[in-house]
Amino acid sequence: MRERTTWTWPRMAVLLVAASLVLSACGGRFGGGGSSSSNAGSNTNTDSSNSQAVEKVELDFWTFWGSETRRPIIEKIIQDFNQSQDRITVKHTYLPWGDIWTKNLAAIAAGNPPDVIVNDIATVAQRAENKQAADLSAYTRKEPVEDRFFPELWQAVTHEGKPYALPFNTDTRFLYYNKEAFREAGLDPEKPPGTWAELEEYAQKLDKKNGDRYERIGFYPTWGNWGWDSWMINADNGRGFVDQEGNVTIHTPRKVEALKWINNWTDRLGSSTVNAYKAEFGEQQSNPFIAGKVGMIIEMATFYTQLRDYGQDVDFGIAPIPEYEEGSGHYSSGGGFVVEIPYGSDHPDEAWEFIKYLTDVEAQKYWAVKNFDNIANIEASRQAAGSDELSETGRMVYSEAVRNLDVTKMFPIPAFAPDYRSLLNPQADAALQGDKMPEEALEQAQEDVEALVARNKQ
Amino acid sequence: MKTKTGRSALRPSVSSRGHYTGQSAPRKRWLTIERKETMQGLLFVSPWLVGFLCFALGPMLFSLYASFTNYNITSRMDFIGLSNYERMLTIDSLFWISLYNTLYYVAFMVPLTTAGAVILASLLNQTIPGKRIFRTVYYLPAVLSGVGVYLLWMQLLSPSTGLVNTVLGWFGVDGPAWLFDPDWTKPALILMKLWGVGSGMLLYLASMQGVPKQLYESAELDGAGPLRRFFTITLPMITPIIFFDIVTSTIGGFQVFQEAYVMSESGDGGPQNSLVFYNLHMWNKAFEVFDMGYATAMAWVLFTFIMVLTLINLWLGKRWVYYEGGDR
Repeated sequence: MRERTTWTWPRMAVLLVAASLVLSACGGRFGGGGSSSSNAGSNTNTDSSNSQAVEKVELDFWTFWGSETRRPIIEKIIQDFNQSQDRITVKHTYLPWGDIWTKNLAAIAAGNPPDVIVNDIATVAQRAENKQAADLSAYTRKEPVEDRFFPELWQAVTHEGKPYALPFNTDTRFLYYNKEAFREAGLDPEKPPGTWAELEEYAQKLDKKNGDRYERIGFYPTWGNWGWDSWMINADNGRGFVDQEGNVTIHTPRKVEALKWINNWTDRLGSSTVNAYKAEFGEQQSNPFIAGKVGMIIEMATFYTQLRDYGQDVDFGIAPIPEYEEGSGHYSSGGGFVVEIPYGSDHPDEAWEFIKYLTDVEAQKYWAVKNFDNIANIEASRQAAGSDELSETGRMVYSEAVRNLDVTKMFPIPAFAPDYRSLLNPQADAALQGDKMPEEALEQAQEDVEALVARNKQ
Repeated sequence: MKTKTGRSALRPSVSSRGHYTGQSAPRKRWLTIERKETMQGLLFVSPWLVGFLCFALGPMLFSLYASFTNYNITSRMDFIGLSNYERMLTIDSLFWISLYNTLYYVAFMVPLTTAGAVILASLLNQTIPGKRIFRTVYYLPAVLSGVGVYLLWMQLLSPSTGLVNTVLGWFGVDGPAWLFDPDWTKPALILMKLWGVGSGMLLYLASMQGVPKQLYESAELDGAGPLRRFFTITLPMITPIIFFDIVTSTIGGFQVFQEAYVMSESGDGGPQNSLVFYNLHMWNKAFEVFDMGYATAMAWVLFTFIMVLTLINLWLGKRWVYYEGGDR
C-alpha cells in the first residue's frame, strides 16, 4: 500500500499542473484579450492626437432606432452634431428593441457602459435609485435647460429633486372620428363628442348592423391605443394609481365608475362580438378605423402617418379625449423616451454636450418634422406645428397634438413600486371579464399595492 | 503472501500485451486498465468539464449567494438571509399563481404529448401505403421552431377567423376565444404543443423498429391480437424511451417561457395572469424590475423542485421501465 501511494504523487502532481495550465489558459485568454484591445485603443488615440491638435473624444450612443425611416433621421442629427464642433465624435450603435436595455444593464454592471442611451421615460426613477443613470444636477445647475421642456416631461425625469435624463420625444392620444360616417348617421361632422355621455350617444348612432352582424361599430372604449387604465385616469381628474409620495389611489369612486362604464359597452355589444373584433385588430392586418369598421377610435398623434399613407380616402377629424362629465377635464395619457448618461460613462462631460444638443430646438424640430413625432422641446414643437414640410392636414394634426400635451399626463413608475401593475392588471382583467365586481376588484388591488409600497418604502 | 505471488503471476500477462514494457513495476500497477479507461473518459469529456468549471459553476454559485441578498445588478448586494425565500412563500401571490399555471401546464402537456407521440408512432409503424409521406408530414412541425410557430398559432387560434374555430364551427361547436379567455389560454398552448409531437414520434418510431421481430411472431402464433401485442410487447420494450421522454419533457415543461412571452399582449402573461408561468414571473422580476436577488432565489427553488421531481421519476422508473440488458 505504501509503495502505491508514494508512486501516485508524481502523477497527481502532473495532473494538477496540467489542470492548472488548462485553467490558466482559460483565464489568460480573457486577460490577454482585454489588454490587447486596450492597447489597440490607446494606439489609435495617440495616432489621432498626433494628427490633430485637440484629442477627440468618441462617444458611444445606443438607440433602438434601426428602421428604414428612423435610422437616417437620427444619423443625420448625429452627423450634424459631429460637424458642429471638433472635440467630440459620436458613434451610433443600433441595438434591437428587445435587447438594448438589458445589454445596457449588463454593461453598467461590468463598468463599461455606453456614453449615451435612449431609454424609457416611465422608469427614470428606478434607474436613478439603482445607480444606472448619472445624476445630471451638477450640469443643470450651471446650464439650466428645464425651461426647454413640457413641465410634465421634466417632472418625469427628476427623482428626489434631481434630473437623471433629458426628455427626448413623447406621445399623446386623442380621438379620431370618421366624418363620412358622421354624415351618414346624421351627426354634425364638425361637432365631435365632448363627454362620455355624448360619446356613447354618438357611438350608438354610428353602429351599423346587417342582420346579427355588425358592419360598423361606432366605438368601443378599449380599442385603439387606449386602455381601461387611461379611462380610469381620465375619469379621476387625471390622477394616476401611485404617486411619488407613495399614496395609492386605485380604489376611488370615479375609477370604479370607469370600469362599470366599460362593462356597459361590453354588455350592449356582447362580449363575443367584442372579442372577435379585437382579435382581428390584434393581427394588425388592417386597421379597423382605416378599414371603416369602427366610426371613432383613440390613437396616438403619429397614427396620422398611417392615415396619410394608407387611408387617403378617410375623411377624418380629431378631437380631445371626451371628459367624464362637463368640466372634469379631457385628460389624455402619454409616454416617451429620454436620453440619459448611463452610470459609469467614461466621458460624462462630453455626453452632456451631446444630449443638450439632442434636446435643443434644431435637432428636435428635425426629428419632429421628419418622423411626425411629438417632441419634448416646447419651442421646437411650436415651430414644427407650422413647418412647411408638413401638409396642411399634417400641420392641423400636429398643432392639435401639441395643444393636447397640456392635458396629457405621464405616469412615471415610482422606484418603490416598480411592478405594481402586476397586482393591478389581473384585478382589472377580472372585473372587465365579469369574474369580479369592479368595486371588489379595485379594493383588492388597492390593498395589494398598498402592501407592496409599505414593504418597499421601509 | 499469497496475494503477492498472485500479483507477480499477473505481470507477464500485462507486459505481454506490449503496453508497459520498459517501465518500472509499481507504475504498471498504478495505471491499471480501469484507471486508464477512467483517464481516457475524463479526457474525452474534458471540453465539457472545463466549460462547466469556467463558465457555469461560477455563475451558479454566484446566483446561489445572490439569492440570499437584495442584489439588483448595479447598486446593491446586501446579505438579507432567507427573506427572499420568505417573501416568495408568504407574500408574493404571483409566485403561487405562476407555480399553479406551470404545474397545470406540465400536468396536461407531458402525458398528452407522450401518449400522442406513442400512438402516432405506432400508427406510422404499420405497413400502410404512403407511410413515408405521413411520417414526413407529422415530423415537419418539429423542424419549424420558435416565434414563427407562435405567431402562426396566434392566427390559427383567432376566435372568429382562426382556422381552429372555423373547423370547430363545421361541427356545430362554438369555439372558445382561446388566447383571450383566461380559462382557455393554457389549453391553447397545450394544443399547440400537441401539434409538435413529431420529434417525440421519431424517437418512438426508431425504438419500435428495434423491437425483435421474433417476439411478435411467437405472440402471433400464440394467438395474440394487435392490441394485445401492442400492450404486452411494444409498450414494455419502448419503456426506456418513454421514460427518457417523460423526464426531459417534464423538465422542459417547467421551463416554459417563450410561448407565454410571445403570445400574450406585450409579454404581460395573458388575461388575468393566466399565462404567467414560473419562468415568465422570474424573468419579469429579474429584467423588468431588476429584483435580481429575488429572481435568483426563484431559480433555485425551481431547480430544487425539478431535482426532487426527477429523483421521484427515477425512483418510480425502476418500477415500470424495462431494460433489456438488465438494469441500465
